[in-house]
Amino acid sequence: MADQKGIRTDHLHIGYSCDLIRDICIEVQPGRIVTLIGPNGCGKSTLLRTLTGELRERGGVVFLDGKDKSALRSGDVVKRMSMVMTYRVRPELMTCREVVETGRYPYTGRFGILSEHDRALVQEAMEWTDVAGIGDEYIQNISDGQRQRVMLSRAICQEPEVLILDEPTSYLDIRHRLDLLQKIKDLSKERDIAVLMSLHELETAMKISDTVVALGEGKVLRIGTPQEVFREDFIRKLYDIERADTEYLGYEPWFEDNDFTGETNRNGQAIPSENADCNIRVNTLPEKHSKARPIMIQGTMSNAGKSMIAAGLCRIFAQDGYRVAPFKSQNMALNSFVTSEGLEMGRAQVVQAECAGIDPMVCMNPILLKPTSDEGSQVIVNGQVVGNMSAAEYFRRKKEFAGDIRKAYEKLSDMADIIVVEGAGSPAEMNLRQDDIVNMGLAEMIDAPVLLVGDIDRGGVFAQLIGTMDLLEENERKRVKGFIVNKFRGDPGLFEDGIRILEERGRTKVVGVVPWLDVKLDDEDSLSERFRAVPAKHFDIAVIRLKHISNFTDFDTFEQLEDVSVRYVSSPEELGDPDMIVIPGSKNTIADLKWLKEAGIAGRITEKAEEGTVIFGICGGYQMLGRSVEDPQGTESGGREDGLCLLPVDTELGNEKERRSYSGEIAGATGVLEDLKGAGVRGYEIHMGRTLPYEDLTEFTSGGTGYCRGDIYGSYVHGLFDRREIMTRVICAISGRKGAEIDVSRAVDYEAFRQTQYDILAQKLRESLDMDYIYGLMGIERHDD
Amino acid sequence: MNRRRYVLYFSLITAAIIALTWMNIAWGSVDLSAGEIFRILGGDRSDVMHSNIICSIRLPRTAAAILLGGALALSGYLLQTFFRNPIVGPFVLGISSGAKLAVALAMILVLSGGKEIGLYTMVAAAFAGSLIVMAFVLLVSVRVRSMSILVVCGIMIGYICSAVTDFVVTFADDSNIVNLHNWSMGSLSGINWEEIRIIAVITAFCLVMTVWMLKPMSAYRLGEAYARSVGVSIKGLRVMLITISSLLAACVTAFAGPISFVGIAIPHLVRSCLKTDAAHVMIPASFLGGAAVTLLCDAIARTVFAPTEVSISSVTALLLVPVVIYMMIHRNDRNRDV
Repeated sequence: MADQKGIRTDHLHIGYSCDLIRDICIEVQPGRIVTLIGPNGCGKSTLLRTLTGELRERGGVVFLDGKDKSALRSGDVVKRMSMVMTYRVRPELMTCREVVETGRYPYTGRFGILSEHDRALVQEAMEWTDVAGIGDEYIQNISDGQRQRVMLSRAICQEPEVLILDEPTSYLDIRHRLDLLQKIKDLSKERDIAVLMSLHELETAMKISDTVVALGEGKVLRIGTPQEVFREDFIRKLYDIERADTEYLGYEPWFEDNDFTGETNRNGQAIPSENADCNIRVNTLPEKHSKARPIMIQGTMSNAGKSMIAAGLCRIFAQDGYRVAPFKSQNMALNSFVTSEGLEMGRAQVVQAECAGIDPMVCMNPILLKPTSDEGSQVIVNGQVVGNMSAAEYFRRKKEFAGDIRKAYEKLSDMADIIVVEGAGSPAEMNLRQDDIVNMGLAEMIDAPVLLVGDIDRGGVFAQLIGTMDLLEENERKRVKGFIVNKFRGDPGLFEDGIRILEERGRTKVVGVVPWLDVKLDDEDSLSERFRAVPAKHFDIAVIRLKHISNFTDFDTFEQLEDVSVRYVSSPEELGDPDMIVIPGSKNTIADLKWLKEAGIAGRITEKAEEGTVIFGICGGYQMLGRSVEDPQGTESGGREDGLCLLPVDTELGNEKERRSYSGEIAGATGVLEDLKGAGVRGYEIHMGRTLPYEDLTEFTSGGTGYCRGDIYGSYVHGLFDRREIMTRVICAISGRKGAEIDVSRAVDYEAFRQTQYDILAQKLRESLDMDYIYGLMGIERHDD
Repeated sequence: MNRRRYVLYFSLITAAIIALTWMNIAWGSVDLSAGEIFRILGGDRSDVMHSNIICSIRLPRTAAAILLGGALALSGYLLQTFFRNPIVGPFVLGISSGAKLAVALAMILVLSGGKEIGLYTMVAAAFAGSLIVMAFVLLVSVRVRSMSILVVCGIMIGYICSAVTDFVVTFADDSNIVNLHNWSMGSLSGINWEEIRIIAVITAFCLVMTVWMLKPMSAYRLGEAYARSVGVSIKGLRVMLITISSLLAACVTAFAGPISFVGIAIPHLVRSCLKTDAAHVMIPASFLGGAAVTLLCDAIARTVFAPTEVSISSVTALLLVPVVIYMMIHRNDRNRDV
């Protein structure tokens, strides 16, 4: 991630005359606070002083702002990094203002004369740290607390991207410590500064840090969230007090007996440990600044129905008047959504957000993995593409992402009363347990009660649920507060014995048996069941099931019509004789284009086109319809591939990913869809590359996003068919041509269609789940009135 | 408020320098009237003796007092900045003594060879001597962090240099001894215009260089680490500070012998008057303050026991040592407070 802001070390060796610590790899991103802890002499200060340049690196590289620090000029380094050290500075007769003004040093001319701008910045920094009033006092005469604030405003003046603090609170009493830490926290968030500091006070480090780095025994012992690092056994080992009596310390939040949770401690209050009876916790809703209540849905396997249950719960809570937000730390899906800010996230959380009645935000799904090959995935963190990583590489770097997840969750929890968290896969994937950030690790991090969902339709629900429980650690097992048996076909009453057995053997309450629901929700990923073969109906749409198909929810809207079939086909035989062929989006256009030809589908499509079948290409499919797809920069796999030559356009793939919401209209239409002209279109674009016509061509979707000729239509706009108007007119026009009549009277906008589906889902879940118990788990008491 | 203080200080000190200059020109074993002085300065050389007294003796001497006094104070200020300690100065650290030893050695070597010692040789020898001592002091300062040990070390070095100087003097010819004795007492007497030119060039050069270093010096006040964190090249600054302060101290020692305590006391006095340590104020203020005090001390040295002249070093010591002592006590008090 060479283009990353902030500071990063790559196998850095530090020390004076010999290596004190080797191979330090840490990273601080803008807006994050990373804290170093460890016993005296463990190398905290040495590390910081190496980063500031006071000591030489003994090996490895420090990246500042993505650039090798040693290659940067000193003037460039100091404009990016400033520091506050622990020792008292004692210049004689130097006023606080003069001290702060030295922060402008890198920006002033030869004689250090301050401009108006410099003075304004100095004043602003001093006001921000509340020291403007003592600007004319001598630094030697003010208190330690004020002095550290002066030093902090000096550091701010330097307009750094990275701020380094070496035990900034050392000489301060509690009040000043609080003051200073609050300022540091605000600074990092408001000005998006990467903060790296060392702290002695563990409880402080625990509360303020996004990530904690524990140094000791001549190495980096642990890097992780405060929750991961502040474990009693680890802290005792770190400070070598394994058997020591800690009576004199008084209350320390890292004592495990205290059942430390991030939330409670952030509010500065110790909530009694969570006992068997959860209802006694706190019965009122959180006040404004306290955090949201989480509930987590985990599954015994993929497709156990987690997303759907989570979506349903979102709807129920929203209906009950709470502010709800969905959250899933990591999604592995081809099917992504683009938010209004142009950021990418998984669709499942978009659906859940819709259920909750709020706009989807990228912090609901901080990490998105889009598989690009069997080994690798495109990693998208907070909506931004970080790069392609192999599974091994991702696994290695998972710890780094824990901070992103935490930050996203916290942002969300400021906005919601309840957060419905969805796990991924199964919590009992034994090989992935370490540094887990998606299931139990996440539940731990945010202190969420867990409901475990089993899929009875696929069989073995007892083994699924009880087996999963058996594989969990004791503390994880305690987190599971209920089972949900999902996808039950038939009369749930017949399952009473099953419930009894599950509760006895699993020692966990069965919260509900959810029937098989035929609710149409946006699908999470390509593993979904939508690809089952379905028979062709009166109006048949064939969607080419590309090897690297993506964003295939574009056609879901057609499924609300009884007489319309949407078939996903992957061979010429399956293609049959559809009314309309759609080539969907692809993660790898060139590879899929090759496959299309090899599988013989390309030929069939061309034949069908000659016969007059309507052909749609969306995004990658649109690119394939053209004359050629070229990849000069090797965005996919490089090279050039001839397209299907159905539209006179050429595509050149580029490195820049274009992501935006789309709002336009059908600018012009040819062939059977001529009447479509002028219809409004809403959707989103997400692609790498440009497609330009080389002949005079009718613009289809406005803004040059799509073209058409005859009955061949291409567009970059996803969600093209979501509006009722377009969908029904497409169907009527095409079916009208062959003289058939399809009943589209009951069709609605896909949006409205989805909303009704969500309500149905919520209703069904209410009927089958013990909602009072679930509210109780979150510490919320419902009064039905 | 501070600005008013600065204006007041600079106008007072300028007035003082003008008044003292007048005193130094007018008073002495031969007192001259204002009218006579103006006539002579106006170019009337009819009274040869009086115009000689003014043009060849009192004027260059006054100029030397101004320049060398300023140089000493500036040297002291630079050293105090460098060590970030207000009780160091070229004399305390033994730098002046080193220069003295080197000059003594050079004098005896050259004079016993039957040659006149050249001005440049003197300056070069003094510069070399002060640099050697400075190097030694730096070596100590790297090893020991304590300032008091550093000062004690400087004093010790001063003694060693004096001892060696005495040693050398014992084995020198009589005529050499007279020369050397006069010089080593520290006196501004007998300075001629040629010497003034050299002094002026060196002092001006050092002043310019000091102004050039203004910015890093301000940042350096917060200590090395912070200075580095805003982009000060520590090594460069240190080399410059050492070279310039040594050059200034050497220049003074070469032409006037060791003049004690001006370097340490003046920056301190100025600082207390101005209530600031900002380099851009302190550099001119120290220079002018040093000039004024040296003028005053020279006037006293010349006139109090006239026609006998006492060494200027004795006067500066008598006048300034109390200041230094007060300063040390005061500083200790303050340290205890904080």
